[in-house]
Amino acid sequence: MIAKLFGGRMAALLGKEFAQIGRDKRLRISLILPPTLQLLLFGFALNATVDNLRLGIVDFDHSRESRDLIAAMTQSGAFRSAGAFTSAETLGTGISQGKVDAGIVLPVNFSKDLHRGHQVGVQVLLNAMNANTAAIAQGYTQGVLGTWNQVMLKSGSLHARFTQIGAVPRDLRGIVTLHPAFIFNPGLVSSWFVVTGTFGLLLILNGSLVASAAMVKEREAGTVEQLLMTPAGTGEIIVAKIAPLFVLLCGMVLFATTLIKVVFQIPFRGNLVIVFLGAALCVLCGIAIGTFLATFTRTARQAQLMSFFVNPPLSSLSGALTPVEAMPHWMQPLTILNPIRHFGVITRAALLKGSSIDILWPNILALAAITLVLLSLSVWRFRKQLG
Amino acid sequence: MTPAEPPSGIGNGAVAIRVAGLQKNYAGVKAVRGIDFEVRKGEIFGLIGPDGAGKTTTFQILAGVMEATAGTATIFNMAAREARQETGYLTQTFSLYPDLTVAENIRYVGDLRLIPRAEIELRGNRYLTMFDMDRFTDRLAGRLSGGMKQKLALACALVAQPQVLLLDEPTTGVDPVSRREFWDTLAHLAIDGLTILVATPYLDEAERCHRVALMHEGTIHQTGTPSELRGSLGAKRLEVHTAALSEAEDVLSGHHDGILDVQRFGDRLDVIVREPVEGQRQVKLLLGAANIAIDSVRVDEPALENTFVATLRAIGREVKSPRYPGLHPHRDIMGQIAIGATNLTRHFGAFTAVQDVSVEVKYGEIYGLLGANGAGKTTTIKMLCGLIEPSTGRMELAGESGSLRSREVRQKLGYMSQKFSLYDDLTISENLNFFGGVYGLSSDEIETKKRWVLEFAGLEGKETALTGSLPGGWKQRVAFGASIMHEPSVLFLDEPTSGVDPLARRAFWRMINQLADMGTAILVTTHYLEEAEQCNRLGFMVAGSIVAEGTPGGVKRAQTGHLIETITTEPQRAADILRTDGERWRISLFGDRIHNVTDGDAETSMRETRATLAAAGIGVLEAREIPWSLEDVFIAVVEKAKREERLAAK
Repeated sequence: MIAKLFGGRMAALLGKEFAQIGRDKRLRISLILPPTLQLLLFGFALNATVDNLRLGIVDFDHSRESRDLIAAMTQSGAFRSAGAFTSAETLGTGISQGKVDAGIVLPVNFSKDLHRGHQVGVQVLLNAMNANTAAIAQGYTQGVLGTWNQVMLKSGSLHARFTQIGAVPRDLRGIVTLHPAFIFNPGLVSSWFVVTGTFGLLLILNGSLVASAAMVKEREAGTVEQLLMTPAGTGEIIVAKIAPLFVLLCGMVLFATTLIKVVFQIPFRGNLVIVFLGAALCVLCGIAIGTFLATFTRTARQAQLMSFFVNPPLSSLSGALTPVEAMPHWMQPLTILNPIRHFGVITRAALLKGSSIDILWPNILALAAITLVLLSLSVWRFRKQLG
Repeated sequence: MTPAEPPSGIGNGAVAIRVAGLQKNYAGVKAVRGIDFEVRKGEIFGLIGPDGAGKTTTFQILAGVMEATAGTATIFNMAAREARQETGYLTQTFSLYPDLTVAENIRYVGDLRLIPRAEIELRGNRYLTMFDMDRFTDRLAGRLSGGMKQKLALACALVAQPQVLLLDEPTTGVDPVSRREFWDTLAHLAIDGLTILVATPYLDEAERCHRVALMHEGTIHQTGTPSELRGSLGAKRLEVHTAALSEAEDVLSGHHDGILDVQRFGDRLDVIVREPVEGQRQVKLLLGAANIAIDSVRVDEPALENTFVATLRAIGREVKSPRYPGLHPHRDIMGQIAIGATNLTRHFGAFTAVQDVSVEVKYGEIYGLLGANGAGKTTTIKMLCGLIEPSTGRMELAGESGSLRSREVRQKLGYMSQKFSLYDDLTISENLNFFGGVYGLSSDEIETKKRWVLEFAGLEGKETALTGSLPGGWKQRVAFGASIMHEPSVLFLDEPTSGVDPLARRAFWRMINQLADMGTAILVTTHYLEEAEQCNRLGFMVAGSIVAEGTPGGVKRAQTGHLIETITTEPQRAADILRTDGERWRISLFGDRIHNVTDGDAETSMRETRATLAAAGIGVLEAREIPWSLEDVFIAVVEKAKREERLAAK
């Protein structure tokens, strides 16, 4: 079976594709240069830091611990104190009127409950008019709380644990609840978020570019008819075109993973197999998108132009560089269709949190489903064009 | 008169172009190795030679865009560089702006040269009228046909009113009808006093020059008028018609004194002999001894190609045609139907590209499909080889009438598309390995065939060269070799020899004949009518239909009209006068001679022509009936079909 598959015709087709790729300098460069540049640039430059947000404070406890927490919040440089408010309602009005950017409400029994080892809820109010800032502020708050929490635990004098952070009054427009995503990035290394996101972006976008260029090549050169006159079946032609690209892009995955580890020192807490599985699916997705685009174009240049229409929505609706939570609500469900989003969730969870397949299976399943649909669609288009 | 002198009556004696001892070396390559020639004012001078002969380099030096390594190139006694105002240079790829209209293209060129707008308008209109293009001034250049693009590029070059026109292979890829119109235009311009230097690899075009120089590997080997060159061979050409072409070719090709060359065509052999009477006797004797019946023998002048081939052979250039290592001949099915198309029609939307075409090609037969651009040749060949499905009609291919796209059928087919049948980014060896492998040949067989292809292409030892780096002619030969590695029983060749020099083309056809003798059915399309002579049968396509079919001799005989050649004192004015009388296509200018296609009686027509011209004060020096060339037949057939279509439309 294998001998039949790799002997004769298939070997000839694969040999030809590999030889062509081997001679394509631009292709080889595009497997190394864009990943390096994108990871480094995005990782270092797209540091989503926000500072000097005006923080309104409602401290019902007036204890050493409450003042300590407020100090920790403002010391980080992300927030500066914008004065005390008397109640959560007045704080909310202050945010709505734009007097402050965020607010924190510390309950009456804050220190007492902490000492008793109870879980304490802290309410954080955010102005979601600027969704991006709100999401980042949320992340900061989470991080500060987390660090503070750890310090408390280390000192051994307190047995407190924050797991849940205050609910949001429904009637106040533009307030979002906190999401525990940033808890696992306690050092507030924003680059970790960006880099893990860029990884997926890279696989899909670079994969699709490389694939569309390779797929359109045969038609651009005019050799496709000659190929169609040979006894090679369309299935064989498609497999022979996709397989070498897959191998190459998997090489890019390894390269990018190494870069992430060495340059950004992202912890590899979880199972790398899950990450690589996701990456392989992403690569196939990228190839599928590229192939699909290539069927609508006659030249490599046209294919690249086409990708200009596809890539921006794909990357901005991915949650790779900006949190999905920062998007308008109606738009958020759309990201479920985006492979980059699922891969982002998988890498972040697996690398930073060490999550296992038990938790990540919905994302893996979704990614696999998207890949299957895209791949079938593009193979169908390609086949139709060949036939 | 020595052969280097222009014929009398051409030009006023002033030398327009003078090239002496011209040399050009590129990094290690001697492109031009010391050439000399002179072109008189008003002369059409042809540089004839294959790819890599140094034609383009010579043109670039004359156009002043490149410096010579040694020697001089002057135009009206000025260095080529200083004379750029006087020269119009058309490169192989025209620099037209496809998004501008015809008029805008001309205006742009004129504006660049700071010619007043009114003057541009005047000259533009004059040339567009001369080229029969004045109806298309508002059409986008990108929408013009290949031939019209050629003429527009020429008009753009002429707007600056150059004294000298340099045309580097201006008709590559242009169909016969447009090519003839283009050459008519050149004849017209030359008579107006324009000096034209033109490069071409095609010898039928060389016939339309006043003088030609045969150039090969940077050296000019012979210069003279076409008839001088033909005469320089000191030989005659015998057209031998026989049914057993292959056997007769074998018999006569053995070395015999007096027989200089044997070339096989579709329905005859051309035998070049020193002396016609003795030659005929010898041919009859030799064929008689081999029991081969001769239908007829006709004596004629040798063609320019014969001279060219003899010249190249004299300098030791011979293209090899090693015997094809065919392991699986198809002789057993010879004579059975390989391609059987019945009433094929193909629509693209509302447009009917092919209408009711029926073609039958037997195993062992070479069938030529001819047609102008847009006649539906490409669509037809794609239907015949199963690449696209006909809208209606029945197809039988390689014994299969159901699924033509099945793997079994494709295994039996060979296909060589126009230009793009090899991968430029693979080496020659990789390409051959690929095609061998994809057809499932064993590695031993691939090796055998590979050696043969390399020998045929003359590329032994160069198999690791990138295919993209090969000049066109070599690439064509490799592509041809690649397409027959698997010994197909049905072979489709779509313009296999465009850009291939005469010697290589002969090697090509020798190979095609070998394949046919092995039982392969071969379908060829071509733009070049001299090449069509090589086919056993021909089909002429016009506007999606086959309008004439038969052997090369058969279609010539089927012409009801006559072809008259007239030599007059004022060729251009005479041509203009004769054109106003009849249809434009009937009259064409070949240098100083006028060809006239007449439907009536030859004698009457000649008498009428003399009378018409005499009334205009033009003397006729000579008028005679000449045999139809396939090109004349083609143009007559196309034009008559178009006329009938126009009548039917009314």
